[in-house]
Amino acid sequence: MKNKNQLPALILLVIGLVVTAGGLFLFINRFVPMWSFSHKYMTDNAIFAMLGILGLFLGIVALLLARSLRKQGQEVPSDTLKQHMGLKATARISNTVIYVLLVIISVIWLAPFFCIVVQSFRVNPTGMTRYLFQNPDAALKEGLTIRFGLDNYRRLFAGDFPRWYLNTFIIAVVVAAVQTIIVLCMSYTLSRFRFKLRKPLMQFMLILGMFPGMLTMIILYQVLKDVGLAGANAMPGLILVYVASSGMGYYVSKGFFDTIPKSLDEAARIDGATRAQVLYKIILPLAKPIVIYTVLTAFMGPWGDFVFAKYVTGVTPEAWNVAVGLQQWLSTTTNISENYTMFCAGGVVVAIPVVILFMCLQKYYVEGVTGGAVKG
Amino acid sequence: MASVKLTNVKKVYDNNVVAVHDFNLDIKDKEFVVFVGPSGCGKSTTLRMVAGLEEISGGTVEIDGEVVNDLQPKDRNIAMVFQNYALYPHMSVYDNIAFSLRLQKMPEDVIYSKVTNAAEILGITEYLMRKPRALSGGQRQRVAIGRAMVRDSKVFLMDEPLSNLDAKLRNQMRAEIILLRQKLNTTFIYVTHDQTEAMTLGDRIVIMKDGFIQQVGTPAEVFEMPTNLFVAEFIGAPKMNIVKTDLVREGNRYFVTPCGAKIEVTGEKGGLLNEKNVKGGPVLLGVRPEHMKLAFERGENTMSARLEVNEMMGSELHLHVYTKDGARWIVRVPTIDLTQEQRRSLVNGAQVYITFEGKVMHFFDPETEKNLIY
Repeated sequence: MKNKNQLPALILLVIGLVVTAGGLFLFINRFVPMWSFSHKYMTDNAIFAMLGILGLFLGIVALLLARSLRKQGQEVPSDTLKQHMGLKATARISNTVIYVLLVIISVIWLAPFFCIVVQSFRVNPTGMTRYLFQNPDAALKEGLTIRFGLDNYRRLFAGDFPRWYLNTFIIAVVVAAVQTIIVLCMSYTLSRFRFKLRKPLMQFMLILGMFPGMLTMIILYQVLKDVGLAGANAMPGLILVYVASSGMGYYVSKGFFDTIPKSLDEAARIDGATRAQVLYKIILPLAKPIVIYTVLTAFMGPWGDFVFAKYVTGVTPEAWNVAVGLQQWLSTTTNISENYTMFCAGGVVVAIPVVILFMCLQKYYVEGVTGGAVKG
Repeated sequence: MASVKLTNVKKVYDNNVVAVHDFNLDIKDKEFVVFVGPSGCGKSTTLRMVAGLEEISGGTVEIDGEVVNDLQPKDRNIAMVFQNYALYPHMSVYDNIAFSLRLQKMPEDVIYSKVTNAAEILGITEYLMRKPRALSGGQRQRVAIGRAMVRDSKVFLMDEPLSNLDAKLRNQMRAEIILLRQKLNTTFIYVTHDQTEAMTLGDRIVIMKDGFIQQVGTPAEVFEMPTNLFVAEFIGAPKMNIVKTDLVREGNRYFVTPCGAKIEVTGEKGGLLNEKNVKGGPVLLGVRPEHMKLAFERGENTMSARLEVNEMMGSELHLHVYTKDGARWIVRVPTIDLTQEQRRSLVNGAQVYITFEGKVMHFFDPETEKNLIY
């Protein structure tokens, strides 16, 4: 250790590794019991949550370590001959350590999804279990063999789930479209125009955004009920509520638009474009990454909204979205023991559109634009 | 017809900062007018007000007799070239130039002929399919000019287009702009902070400082007859030598007495002084470095000075000297006029004698800084 600055990073790394090792041990202990202790408080969900947090922690540690190791690698005076000979040993070690850490993190982050997918294919038992592939108590008791199949998916689409899925899908698509338009117009206006109330407006929205959305839940429900958009008609009501506050999400997009030089706008306006044409033909093609980001975040929002959706839709199953519907299956112990694996299958089906969307649109993030077309 | 008339144009910003005070100018059709001045003098602001990119706080701007204060930039029939090119990065050079034509819904074949024509004039035909990031600075600037050219607009506005280019390229582009002007034959308004560009390009120059117009005139007028001290010092490089001295009147003749020498005011200026009945007294005397002469021996109208810095410019030397009264002078001496021995003697600290002829002097009032004659 040549540098005192590395000490905090290394300490954090050691703590992180110890904690992660402990978590991994507990995880593996489920399937290959190495040490028996009371499992009463250690459900699968708790383990997954713990591992998620550990993964995040380890990610931060890895970043710090990477930075400090990289700095160390650069402190060595570069000899032209040594440069030609390739990376120095320190840089090679730092690369290896970083890659190992990244692999561990990937495993930790993907483990919960892996577990959910595996359990979604498990036909028997259908309840929540603490094992994935093999019941450690199978040797003791008869009739506890695990079977895999597609039964969960069949049951899923036989029930109300398709209706919930459709509801959520429609809400997500409409919200994505409307919210994107509102956010982009809002961000462009705040970025390009200067008017008296601009700064007070931005500050007001920033402060307002700090209050939790739950505060307005009751009054919103009351208003929606009075207008007739709750209960069975909850879908338009939900769309209205999600879309209504979308203007406040201008911050990231506005920051991006600020980096696009104003002289491009001016050149386009002199060339004969209206403000709308400037936004559509010049700014948005340059801002593809941020447009994709806005569309994706707007699309993903409604899929996971549980509290407000449940409150507004109440007890009319036709109006539920997937979050509310799936939760129903876990609401009582009998429900859990019957429907847990179906719940997992539902979770997988819900994740599919988002994953496809991400995979298709990922390449747009990589586009490098603006580069050099405007001086300075 | 594309005349531009600015009447009492004023620009005040929100925090009550006045950027342009009472700007009055009549630009004739097909005239090349240059706004020149130091940074922050309001020249770009005025240009942008003509373009419609800035709100006009007071006064009117007329293009071809029509008041355009409330018209959008696209309705004013103008074209503009920006300092930082402002090319659309995601479009090819062809699409950049064709953008405005496509907005006007012109047929594609017309667009094709216009764009290729402009590209040929500017020498960028082989770059038509490239994106701006694959071009050099000079090429990008030509594309920007091409984009403005194809619009066939009434007024061509240029906001410091050569500022981002290196010195050699700047000289080259300057010549190209002069050729372009001859080809296009339309009204130009050109903004720059470089007085060389102003002098070489403009039919008329508008010199600005702190939002006020200092002088409007042809390059010859502002060079030979500056109306105030600022214009005199701004135009011409190196800048004019300004020295506090006394103007002595002896009957019909005028003399100046800088640092021990006594030089009579001759030529046209002497006559004009008489005409205006200028009284003697303290004045600010201005003599351009190229009008100064170097002598190697004392004379009646020479000043004794010490050489401080000797700048070798190639065909001439720029000598920075200071006289006994602390005044600093710059003298331009063509190297061809000096013998080898004389050249060698011009070292730091050397004693030299400087003088100037009677007809090259400018006189400015020490308080108002206005030219006493013009």
